[in-house]
Amino acid sequence: MYDMLAALINGTLGWGWPEWALNLLSYILVVTIVLVVAPLQMLFFTYYERRVIARMQDRVGPNRVGPEGIWQPIADGVKMFTKEDIVPQAADRIVHFLAPCVVVAPTVLMFAVVPWGPGMVPVDLPTGLLFFFAISSISAVGLMMAGWASNNKFSLLGAMRAVAQMVSYEIPAVLSLIAIVIVVGSLSINDIIAYQTGLIVSNRDLPGIPDLGLGWFVFTPVGFVAFIAFFIAALAEGERTPFDIPEADSEIVAGYMTEYSGMKFGLFYLAQYVLNFLLCAITAIIFFGGWQGPGVGWLYAQGITPENPNGNGLFNVLAGVLGVFYFLLKTYLFFFVMVWLRGALPRLRIDQLMDFGWKFLIPLTLANLFSAALWVAFTRWGPAEGMLITVGWSPVLRWLAAFVVTLAINLGVYLWLTRVYAASQAERRRAELEELIAAGS
Amino acid sequence: MTASPFEIEIPRGRVIEVQRDDTRVRRGTGLLRGMAVIWKHWKESFKLNRSYSQIHGTFTIEYPEERPRIPEAYRNMPILLYDDETGHELCTSCFQCERICPPQVIHMTQAKDPATGKPVPAVAEFIIEYDACMSCGFCAEVCPFDAIKMDHEFELSTDDHLRLTVHKEQLLRPISYYAHIAPTMWAEVREGALKKLQGNIRRRPDVIGLAPQLTEKIAARRAELAAQAAQAAQAAAATPAPPAAPAAAAPAPAEGRKLTPEEKAAKLAAIRAANAAKKQQSGDGS
Ligand code: SF4
Ligand code: SF4
Repeated sequence: MYDMLAALINGTLGWGWPEWALNLLSYILVVTIVLVVAPLQMLFFTYYERRVIARMQDRVGPNRVGPEGIWQPIADGVKMFTKEDIVPQAADRIVHFLAPCVVVAPTVLMFAVVPWGPGMVPVDLPTGLLFFFAISSISAVGLMMAGWASNNKFSLLGAMRAVAQMVSYEIPAVLSLIAIVIVVGSLSINDIIAYQTGLIVSNRDLPGIPDLGLGWFVFTPVGFVAFIAFFIAALAEGERTPFDIPEADSEIVAGYMTEYSGMKFGLFYLAQYVLNFLLCAITAIIFFGGWQGPGVGWLYAQGITPENPNGNGLFNVLAGVLGVFYFLLKTYLFFFVMVWLRGALPRLRIDQLMDFGWKFLIPLTLANLFSAALWVAFTRWGPAEGMLITVGWSPVLRWLAAFVVTLAINLGVYLWLTRVYAASQAERRRAELEELIAAGS
Repeated sequence: MTASPFEIEIPRGRVIEVQRDDTRVRRGTGLLRGMAVIWKHWKESFKLNRSYSQIHGTFTIEYPEERPRIPEAYRNMPILLYDDETGHELCTSCFQCERICPPQVIHMTQAKDPATGKPVPAVAEFIIEYDACMSCGFCAEVCPFDAIKMDHEFELSTDDHLRLTVHKEQLLRPISYYAHIAPTMWAEVREGALKKLQGNIRRRPDVIGLAPQLTEKIAARRAELAAQAAQAAQAAAATPAPPAAPAAAAPAPAEGRKLTPEEKAAKLAAIRAANAAKKQQSGDGS
C-alpha cells in the first residue's frame, strides 16, 4: 500500500509528501479496508452457511430478501441493531459491556497479518504466525468475562466450557503448526506461502521443477497430518459443530451469549464468524499455499524484462487478482467443509472433547513434529549437521527418502493411536456401564 | 452377506441398528461415511423432490408462489354447510358440537317458531371463536347431521381480533364447496346427510333454516309462502295478503308470521303428528 501511494502521490501527481504522511495515510487506508472487509466477510459467511446447510438438509435456505436471498444478512443486521439491549439487573454492568469488545477486537487484529494476495498483507511481521495465535487466544478472556459478568449459570458454564476447550485445543493447533515452521524455518506467514511453490513438492526441497504454485504442504505426509490435526483444532477454536459445546443450545441455552441481546449479541456473532473466516484463511494459507496456485507465478514472470526487473504493472495486477481469487476460493472451500461437518456430525460431549484433544490429537501432533524434524534432516542436512546417510544422494533421492520415512512414521503412529484410543474409549464405556449397574442394584 | 448389520428390512420403513465398537467405523472412517451421506444430500438437493418416498432432493414448497396439494382429511377451522338447491342449512342446533368442543368456542341459539315459540330444528345464530379453536375436529366428528365440517382454508391472519369471532353468515359454505375439497369424505356421508336434511326442512316453518346470505332464495321462499297463503286465504274467502317485498328484511318476517300458522296447520299437521309426538304434547301443554 505504501509503495502504491508513494508511486501515486509523489510519482504520478508529484505532490512530494513526506514519508510519515504517506505511511500514516497508507495505514489508515489499510485499516479501513480491513474494518470494512471483516464484517462483510462475516455477513457473507452467515448467508453462505445458511444456504449450504439448508441444501444439506434438503431445504432451500433464505431466498427471499433480494436475489436468492443475498441481502438476508443485511436484514438480520438491521434487526440486530433495532433490538433492545437488555442488561440483567444482577450483571456486572461494566464487564458485561466490555466483554463483546474484548471478544471482537482480537479477531479484527488478526487480520493484520493475513495475506490476501501476493504482496497484499497489511503488516508483514516476521513473527506473523505467532502473533496470529497469540492474539486469537485473547478472545478466551472476553468469553470468560461475558460468562462471569452475566451472572447466569448457563453463561458461566458456557464460558468455562469455551475456555477449557480453547485452551486444550490451542496445544494441538500450535503443535501442528510448529511442524510446518520447522520445515519452513520461519514464522513469517509470507515466507510460509513463498515456500509452497512448485508442483506437488516445493521448489525449495527439489530445485528445478516447474513452478505451478502447487507445492502445498498438504501433499507431504508431515503437512497432511498437521493439516488434519490443525483443522480439527480450528473447529474447536471456532466453536463449530461437532465442538460447539460452549453454546450447546440444547443444554445451556446459548452459553456465554445467553444474557446478551441486540447488537452486543451481534458482536459475539460477528466475532465468531470472523474467527471462522480467519481460521479457514489460515488453514488455506499454511497448508494450501494461500494465494499460490497455477498461473500466479507465471503471470509475475511474464512482466519481468531486463529493463524492468520488478515486473510490470498490468501483469502484477493480474497476478494479484488471481492470487486473491485462489485465496478466497480456498477459504470458502474450507468453510464449506466446516458446514459440511456441521451437517454430518452431532455434538460431542465435553469429556469426549477433552479425551480427543489430549489423548489423540496431542500425541499425533507430537509424533508429527518428529517427522517434520526428520524431513528437514533428510532434505537439507549434510555431514556438517551430522547427517551421514544422505551423503552423495541426489536431491530427488533425498526427497523420496524423506517422504517415505515420514509417511511410514505418521501412518504407523496414526494406526497405533487410533487403536489405543478406541481401546481406551471402550474400556471407559465398560467402566461407566459397570458403575451404572452398580448404582442401579 | 445378504443383510448388513446396519440395516434390517421390516415391512414398515427401515430400522438401523447401530452397533457399538464396530471396527469398520474406527479410524475416522465413520466420520467419512457420515460426510458421504451429507454430500449425497447436498448434491441431490439441487433437484426438486415431490415424491415423499424419496429421501433425496429438496422438499421445500415455496409457499406463496407454490401451494401444496392439501390432503382431503386436512382440517383447519370448522365451517357450516348449507344445501345448494334448497339453501337450507344442515345444522339443526342439536348442541352436540357445542357440548364436545374442548375449549368451548362454539356458541349457538336455537331457532324458535315465531308463532308457537317452540324450538325448530334450525339454528338462529351460530358463533365459533376461531382464535381459540384448536382445530381438533371433534365438532365435525360428533355432528349427527354432517352440518359442521373442517375447512381447508388456512390463511386466516388478520389485524382485527374481532374478525376471528365468526358468525353464522361467514361460517356457511355450500355443500358443493365441501364436496369439492373433500370428495370422498362427502360421498361417504352424502346420502344420509341429505335425507336427514329433507326431514328437517319439513319441520322448518317460514324462512327459518335458510342460509341468511341467500337473499334470492329467501325472497323466493317468501313469495312462495305468500302465494300459498293467498291461496289458503282465497279458499277461506279472506282478503289476499300483499306480496312480500323481497329485500326488506324487517317488515317481511312480520307479514310472514301472520300467515304461517294457517299454512302450517293446513300442510304440516300430519307430519308433526308422526314426528316427535311427545314434543308436540309438551308444546301443546305449555
Ligand atoms: S375444531 Fe375442536 S376446538 Fe374447534 S370448534 Fe371444533 S370442537 Fe371446538
Ligand atoms: S353443527 Fe351439527 S352438532 Fe353442531 S348443533 Fe349443528 S347439527 Fe348439532
